[in-house]
Amino acid sequence: MTEISVGLMLADHWISIIGIIIGGICIAVGVHFVPVGGAPAAMAQATGIGTGTVQLAAGSGLTGLLAAGYMYMVLSADGAYVGTSQIALICATGAVGAMIMISVTMLVGNWVYIYGVGVPPASAKRDYDPITGDSQAPYVAAGTVGQGLPTVCFVSGTIGGLLGGLGGSLVYCMLMWVNGDPAISSIFAIGVFLVNAVLPSYNIQGTIEGFHDPKFKRVPKAILACFIASLLCGIIAVTIPGIAALGGV
Amino acid sequence: MDPAMGMGLVALMGAAATVAGCSEDLESDIGSQSNPNSQVQLAAQVGYPHRIFNKAISGEPPSNAMYCAVGAGVAMVLMSESVMSASPLIAIAIGAFVAALLNGVFATTSYMGRSASQTRFNQYVYMDVLRNQILSLMGHAYITTFCIVLLSYVMWNQHLINHPFPFPVIALIWGLCVGAIGSSTGDVHYGAEREFQDFKFGAGLNAADSGNITRYAEAGIRSSLDNAWFCSKFGGPATGIAFGMVVFLDNWRSTAFAEVLNGWGAVLVGLAIVILLVIYNRQIETYARKKYGPYPEYAGDIEA
Repeated sequence: MTEISVGLMLADHWISIIGIIIGGICIAVGVHFVPVGGAPAAMAQATGIGTGTVQLAAGSGLTGLLAAGYMYMVLSADGAYVGTSQIALICATGAVGAMIMISVTMLVGNWVYIYGVGVPPASAKRDYDPITGDSQAPYVAAGTVGQGLPTVCFVSGTIGGLLGGLGGSLVYCMLMWVNGDPAISSIFAIGVFLVNAVLPSYNIQGTIEGFHDPKFKRVPKAILACFIASLLCGIIAVTIPGIAALGGV
Repeated sequence: MDPAMGMGLVALMGAAATVAGCSEDLESDIGSQSNPNSQVQLAAQVGYPHRIFNKAISGEPPSNAMYCAVGAGVAMVLMSESVMSASPLIAIAIGAFVAALLNGVFATTSYMGRSASQTRFNQYVYMDVLRNQILSLMGHAYITTFCIVLLSYVMWNQHLINHPFPFPVIALIWGLCVGAIGSSTGDVHYGAEREFQDFKFGAGLNAADSGNITRYAEAGIRSSLDNAWFCSKFGGPATGIAFGMVVFLDNWRSTAFAEVLNGWGAVLVGLAIVILLVIYNRQIETYARKKYGPYPEYAGDIEA
């Protein structure tokens, strides 16, 4: 395989690379929507889900990827062509799969906060919940920065799941266009997902409550970083599995 | 596939997932993994040496993803015709056993390393703590891995659901998912309630009290097995219900509504489920606000 044919391969699959970049940016923005409180939230000392950013985003996004992978197989059965309208359905399936995972997790998390720990959900970043208008500050325990998942965080989390699942599924579809092998595509999609979930977590620095959190304004920086990272990932993900599909170097 | 068969498989997967979620959470409670471990680690440093197991190998999602991928990889090799064509049940059981052994290795080195590094804070390596709890950790890891590899096998098998992803990748993704759920739900019961039972229920944990974990049990000195006993009453089953719900709801909507509106039916049903969950969450939030009321220490101007 010469350098020229690698260049031709990139030229042939430029749409896939653009798709991977868009998917990567969706994942990066989605991570900012997910309300994560990190270790303090596990002790009910901070608002959000008591785990790490990457872990929750990956857990939900990859659950969506499973649903999307199955839908891709169903739609491409008997060699049927997978076009834009089918990809829209696959991405929607992945997005909804991720939304279900993250919604169930947040709901059961709130069960534990309310019934197991005995604290009402409250955000410390806003005095009033932007969606319900409920007062927040009087319900924040002394010496903490909130606890549990009030409605605004819950809604923000579902949007985060939607974007994460959408991005992961889009990356998978683009890779399937290049090599047609679900095994290679799924593994590379997981890789691209993790890259784009880890980079924004530097922006978040451990905790974020959702779109109403002041840290959310840092999203443009993450978009730029993930654009560059996804471009590199896209080039690698298109050429390496593509070469393998052509019979090796 | 016959719809009744499809629904039966979805129910089986949901049941396996419920057991896996519960045992995963209890395993992390016994070993004190994930975020609540920060308090166990901090306790000795702020003057409270303890006899709680301490194994923060990594975050729960990566560690469970590794156990499940290893279990599925071993099972896949044993089942392949070129090796020994083992029956799936035996292959999955052996795969889960290998994963449990890995768990034991990581737990041992992690406990010894972490406790030994805190000698200057009078935190000792207790050999009886290690001996008593390591098998219980491995047992729970075995149950988790077995159930997840089993449900991944149902998804992967070409005569059943026939998912296109490789067997170990499906197991890896479900392992990651169960770890993320366990770390977000059940661990809060351990970290926010059980570790700080000396404090008044519902009082919240002031950041100044970090590290002051409860070290005495209902009788004698508290061990990690006491923690599992307590968390098995609520945190563990809640995690099981969460993971079971994820696996069941996600597969149910894609199996039962795949043919409706050219596939868009499954998407719409999924969205309806999410909206119902948002509404239910709002209800329990309102319940908690009314039931518990504002904190009496609050001295600001905002009305409750």
